[in-house]
Amino acid sequence: MKITQIAGFLGCGKTTLLLRLSDELAEGGKTKVALVVNEIGEIPVDGKVIEESGMRVKDIGGGCICCEVASTFAKTVYSLYKDFSPDHVLVEPTGVAVPKQVKQAAAMSGRDADIVLGPAVVLFDATRPAELLDMDMLGRLVVTQVKDADIITISKADIAEEADMAMAEEKVRELNPRAEIFRVSSFTGLGFEHLKQDILDWKEGA
Amino acid sequence: MDDAGENGHGCYTEHGVSGYGVAIKLSHDQTMDEAWIKSMAEEMMVRVADLCMEHGANAIGHIKAHVRTSAGTVKADTIGTSHGAYSQGTISQPVHELYMAVNSIVQGIKEHVVAEATLDGIHQVAEERGLHVIKEKEHTYFDEFDFVKSDEEFRREFQEQLEKSEG
Repeated sequence: MKITQIAGFLGCGKTTLLLRLSDELAEGGKTKVALVVNEIGEIPVDGKVIEESGMRVKDIGGGCICCEVASTFAKTVYSLYKDFSPDHVLVEPTGVAVPKQVKQAAAMSGRDADIVLGPAVVLFDATRPAELLDMDMLGRLVVTQVKDADIITISKADIAEEADMAMAEEKVRELNPRAEIFRVSSFTGLGFEHLKQDILDWKEGA
Repeated sequence: MDDAGENGHGCYTEHGVSGYGVAIKLSHDQTMDEAWIKSMAEEMMVRVADLCMEHGANAIGHIKAHVRTSAGTVKADTIGTSHGAYSQGTISQPVHELYMAVNSIVQGIKEHVVAEATLDGIHQVAEERGLHVIKEKEHTYFDEFDFVKSDEEFRREFQEQLEKSEG
């Protein structure tokens, strides 16, 4: 069971990407995919929207899985392993989660379940690169998310201006030269085959 | 690795991010079609975002809504007033009633201020659009309301029952 997180700041398009990616990974039912969605803000809007797509989804509320409810996350992963045995678990943390900590929490579930860690995929919203990095307190958080990423996808490539996408790529490359960086669009499908293959091929620590 | 408990002081608190959620049931004397519902939901998202900024927010994380009717669902959201709003989903036929869950995640203002801005935004747009607020409940989802199944859901469950009884 491979656990891959789809992280990134609030509003960067995580849920939309998750829905399309899970569908592509599932390959028409050949592969079992489960989703774990963590939201702040008390009510699970994303979880409910995903549920309507017919995917197996576990919603974690009451805090952030990178800190407050990390142990709930580990227990949720274990219960998915026990009850559903998916090949892939895609995790959508809150938009303010720290990817490295989410990975640590996921690794904790490996004490009881046979898991391998997938990459930390971090979405960077190409429609507002300057805004994201310039935000007072949140700019530091976005920088942390980018630095923690194994793969950075420049999201919303179908609607972003070319200049903004180029700026986004340049900024994130400066912050994280080791990550693979490419553009995606959850609407046109741009970059999805690439992302899917990266997840399938990923070997943590390799 | 124990959970920090129920004090609500996770990473988002450290970053000055506050969240608020509310579920509402709305009705209209006239029927509402898909275009009308999407436009209303988008207007509501932008209004809530506007009010949050007016109340001193530094940034909008997102304002999201899940609208459910007996004829389908719509999702609407905004990531900030300058970005406009976006909606998707299908309502197969005009309806008189809808259920809506709204989630606001904002940086720079306290939770009670986010709550005030969210509720004001919802009520303002509802009133301007001629919608009546039938029910409203904070910190919950509309699943807890007396929800009627969508036509599609009803048909699917009915089909499953038939298959079971025939099998």
